[in-house]
Amino acid sequence: MRSGFSKSALVGACLACLAWPAQAADQVTLTFWHNHPEWKERVQKILDKFEAANPGIHIQLEEIPGPDYSPKMNTALAAGEAPDIIELRPGPEVRAAEEAGYIVELTGKVDTSNVTKSGLDAAQIDGKLWAVPMLGEYTVGLYYHKDVFAQNGWTPPKTADELLKLCPVIKAKGIAPMIAPSQDGVIPSFLYALAASSILGADGLAAVRRGERKLTDPDVLKASKFLQDLYPCFEDGAIGTAYVEGKALFALGKGAMMEGGSADYAGFTTTNPKVNLGVVPFPALEGGKGSTVTGMEGVFAINSQTKGKDAALKFLNWMLGNEPAQMVVDTITLSTNKNVTPSNNETMKEMVEASKVNDVRVWYEYPEVGSVFTVAGNNAQALFLKEMTPEQFAAALQASVDPKAK
Amino acid sequence: MGGGARRPLFFVTNLAPATSEETRPSVRPGSLAIAGKGGEGRAPRRAASRRRNAFSSSFARRYGHLLFAAPALLVFLSFIVYPTLEAFYLSLFDWKGVGKNFNFIGLGNFQTALSSWPLYRAALNNLVFFVVILAFQHTVGLLIAVQLNARPRFMQVYRTILFLPVVLSLIATGFIWTLILSPNIGLLNPALRAVGLGFLARSWLSDTTFALPVVILVQAWNVLGWAVIIYLAGLQNIPEELAQAAEIDGATKWQTFRRVTFPLLSPSFTSLTVLTFIQIFRVFDVVYVLTGPVGAPAGRTDVLGTLVYRTAFGVGGLSANDARMSYAIAISVIIFIVMAAVSAALIWLLRRREVEA
Repeated sequence: MRSGFSKSALVGACLACLAWPAQAADQVTLTFWHNHPEWKERVQKILDKFEAANPGIHIQLEEIPGPDYSPKMNTALAAGEAPDIIELRPGPEVRAAEEAGYIVELTGKVDTSNVTKSGLDAAQIDGKLWAVPMLGEYTVGLYYHKDVFAQNGWTPPKTADELLKLCPVIKAKGIAPMIAPSQDGVIPSFLYALAASSILGADGLAAVRRGERKLTDPDVLKASKFLQDLYPCFEDGAIGTAYVEGKALFALGKGAMMEGGSADYAGFTTTNPKVNLGVVPFPALEGGKGSTVTGMEGVFAINSQTKGKDAALKFLNWMLGNEPAQMVVDTITLSTNKNVTPSNNETMKEMVEASKVNDVRVWYEYPEVGSVFTVAGNNAQALFLKEMTPEQFAAALQASVDPKAK
Repeated sequence: MGGGARRPLFFVTNLAPATSEETRPSVRPGSLAIAGKGGEGRAPRRAASRRRNAFSSSFARRYGHLLFAAPALLVFLSFIVYPTLEAFYLSLFDWKGVGKNFNFIGLGNFQTALSSWPLYRAALNNLVFFVVILAFQHTVGLLIAVQLNARPRFMQVYRTILFLPVVLSLIATGFIWTLILSPNIGLLNPALRAVGLGFLARSWLSDTTFALPVVILVQAWNVLGWAVIIYLAGLQNIPEELAQAAEIDGATKWQTFRRVTFPLLSPSFTSLTVLTFIQIFRVFDVVYVLTGPVGAPAGRTDVLGTLVYRTAFGVGGLSANDARMSYAIAISVIIFIVMAAVSAALIWLLRRREVEA
């Protein structure tokens, strides 16, 4: 009799326990992967604002270091374990995800009236919307330490020649003229893109993409030559220095200049809150103009297997509004929202100014020239060490250009 | 009467209890001399009532032990064998690793891989790596093991310290090494300058001559523990009487070592050589952490592991359009086949020279 009573009491307690989570199920949790651990707090503040305005939806943020992000995301997509909100690089990556059925079509489901034209271009494939830019875009120019330059009476270089002449002068003061961590090939790829964009401009790059101009043409070849000539300006051990260490070195003032993007600024101030940086366009090569390149900080899509589709759409729509965009542009990086401008950040204002001279879309977002980045990264060290001539380097890059790619 | 004298010893291969038709080998004290005879009379009656169960058949007796191995075997088949076979299959396509574009291209990937210079350059780096580490393990490792075998004070402490690098994650320790070696914020260069060796200071991981030696050095620091443990185990299995006998016969310490100890260490030599071969041809973390996925500087430290990683996932996380997963799998398959063949040959060759104590 007694054992019968305690048995049913136990069963009753178990049933009650099972029922408990059902009440909490009103809350939807969306997983969200991002590739900037150095922004974690700032992104979390934006997410907290969203959750305050939308109780019942919880966004679980996971930050993955940049170089590890693509391998991890692609593996997760193939394994069916990708998060609810997926960050992808615009262009070929979005197309591949769409063709494989990993993401939900968003045409007509989100309000894109605030997004800039370049932002929309990056997110659409054949006129349909598959992802939205919401955590900014980045523009890459040339950062320099204002105090160091002012103390020594230097001016930021406007042409490639001026830059090369300035290097030995800066070196004589015991400072590395330019910090360029080249271990994984990313910085050299950007340096090449900036140098070549200086000569080509947006129109010239479109011509390269159509196959009408080549990276081995005599005028564009100057970019490969300049990259090789730039090597002596780098810090000691640049070839073996990783990107993260390089950014820290620059923030701490061990170098006078560094090619960097608006997205790097947050990392610089985290390492050294007192840092005082100015931005100029990348110096103009002979016959060209000072240049910047701009790319998306990822575009965001909804996993086709998510159980919280409505919540995810709510989240994306909210992120496209002006309030989060203002938070992005004030604390993180430039925004793709046309209604906001940096309200209190001098350095970012200079970056925006710099991008008005000759801004080109970052090359890897175009399928025809997407591989140029990888080839440049793989071969830059050989170019620096003079084991490869600029002609060979340019030829390798040109070989990876495919006007027929989609 | 009684076949007990010819009954084989009761080994692990025969786990099932004896049936009533057989005599149990006797293990009762005092009955060893007449094994099998003494207990015959009394055992069968009790045996008959207890042993009517699944393990009665002779099949179960001979193969019952496989049941114990089944769970582990299942795990092995599911997580090792099946993915490997699937990988062989995937290498016959041109899949990029993203999306669902699959086109069968047969052995195309293999042809491309075998005619690509970076594969051979990476393999050559692995070979240099292997030769140096092997020499290091069999000299320094052996020397330290011999010293430890003499049981000095604090032997346990030394052994722990030496094995610690093996246990600690190379990603963490490798990162600390990059900080030590950094020409900008490191410890090594200032330390060299402080003792008057400033001319040696350089950008270690960016130097085309020194990058690979430095990476090999860090790996040697990491794997020394293996050599010490394996040789120490081997040394502790050598009966002391043999060395003492040699001493009595007038052999010097060196002669004793060369003629008695070292030949008896040949099983350890075999294990360590094969282990090192597999470890070094699979090496990835130490290179990735110290010099990155491109095998800086300019491919001097590129090894098969980083080559496959780079090919499978693209470089710098920016260009997933350059991922070539099927091609990378094909390279891995080539590496697998070559390593399996060489390991088998190594084991066969080295086993022949082994000596039993």
